[in-house]
Amino acid sequence: MSVAREEHNFEPLIVAFCCNWCSYAGGDLAGTSRMSYPPNARVIRVPCSSRVSPNFILRAFQRGADGVLVAGCHPGDCHYITGNYHARRRLSILRRFLGFMGVEPERFEVHWISASEGGKFAEVMTEMPEKIRALGPNRKLRDAR
Amino acid sequence: MKNLQDTIREIAAQSLARGEVELVIGWEKGDLWWQSYPAFIEEEKEADRLIWDPLCVPNLSRYLLQELSEMDEKKIALFVKGCDALAFNQLLQDNRTVRERVVLYGIPCDGLVDPSKLEREGLDRDLQEVERDGEELVLKAAAGEEKRVPAKDYLYDKCLTCRYPNPVAYDQMLGETVPVEPEERFTGVRKLEELDYEDRFSYWAEQFSRCIRCFACRNVCPACSCIKCVFDLQEPRWLGKATEPSENAFYHIIRAYHVAGRCVDCGECSRVCPVDIPLQELNRKIILDINELYGEYDAGVDPEQEAPLITYKTDDPAAFTES
Repeated sequence: MSVAREEHNFEPLIVAFCCNWCSYAGGDLAGTSRMSYPPNARVIRVPCSSRVSPNFILRAFQRGADGVLVAGCHPGDCHYITGNYHARRRLSILRRFLGFMGVEPERFEVHWISASEGGKFAEVMTEMPEKIRALGPNRKLRDAR
Repeated sequence: MKNLQDTIREIAAQSLARGEVELVIGWEKGDLWWQSYPAFIEEEKEADRLIWDPLCVPNLSRYLLQELSEMDEKKIALFVKGCDALAFNQLLQDNRTVRERVVLYGIPCDGLVDPSKLEREGLDRDLQEVERDGEELVLKAAAGEEKRVPAKDYLYDKCLTCRYPNPVAYDQMLGETVPVEPEERFTGVRKLEELDYEDRFSYWAEQFSRCIRCFACRNVCPACSCIKCVFDLQEPRWLGKATEPSENAFYHIIRAYHVAGRCVDCGECSRVCPVDIPLQELNRKIILDINELYGEYDAGVDPEQEAPLITYKTDDPAAFTES
């Protein structure tokens, strides 16, 4: 596919790591509540936002993601008590570090979405692709082979 | 300097003779003037191999990893500069060394000489020996010629920004403490942050394109002390074998991130890099962010203090929008 064509029909591909205990259930709620949102994200269920290793995030970019989302419980609500507090520190450092490496921060987002926030889940899933659409396809960190 | 070298030899010989330690780790001269290698001395009569000159830059603490595991209950004496002592404390904090089994001799360090800076000005011709005399370097050539140059112009960049030239951990201090006058260490990071995202990416892509994946930066690092390294794993194989741009970026991002909050900023990664990738800037960016977001923290200064990325506060700030 030529670059021009890819940009013309560009649909951002987002890899969304969703915490089993809140954001994934939030996605379920969005679905059962019949909320509609664009199908750009591929959801990967993880036990906790702190389970998401930087390896996962970089691998997603390598294999063609235009954006990566990590969604977890609100601080204080972690199923494992402290997981998301740790994730907040680690992912903050990683997000700034990726920015330092030249990856636009819009491409790597972290959101706290609880199981009762179906609306917020749909909102995030709508907004993030729009921001990335404006940036265009991601070629940084992409494995060219 | 000669005095300190004599003291080092004396201490090594004595502690081996008395049986206080089984092994002394110091530096010895290689074949060429710029080579000051780690030396592993087990016999009293070998102690005269030890040297101290302004080129003794290898961080010795890292060698404890292999030596301690090989030596069971035996004790090791180690000569530590400021950065080596920070590294030792970091290994201690990571449970990778045992304080009781190591005798530390502290060496206050007034900066070490970067051979490439001498080479750049052609000062390395016929050079045999480099000595430090106060604020000057004495360059001794083969024909007995001597040349004096201001030391500060030829020190490693990392030494100019050094904030802990006096060892923070030692059993016995050798020599007088030196004054601490560090230059600002985040200048390089801030300069890169002025670029836009595209330029930053091309800057690093260009730097990483030289990487030959020799893993020297990992192997020399006192914070990279895992027994099993993620880059060596076959299953899952996170890092491919090809030196492809995205694999190189993956390696360098993960390497820097894995030492986040534990990097003692000794700059050994940049020094050993055969293709001169400014790896220390990556680590310093993370140090800068940790300092800004979660409070000033100097890894290796106090092994009792909790590292910033293994702890948290309920009201921590985040580098993303929280709602």
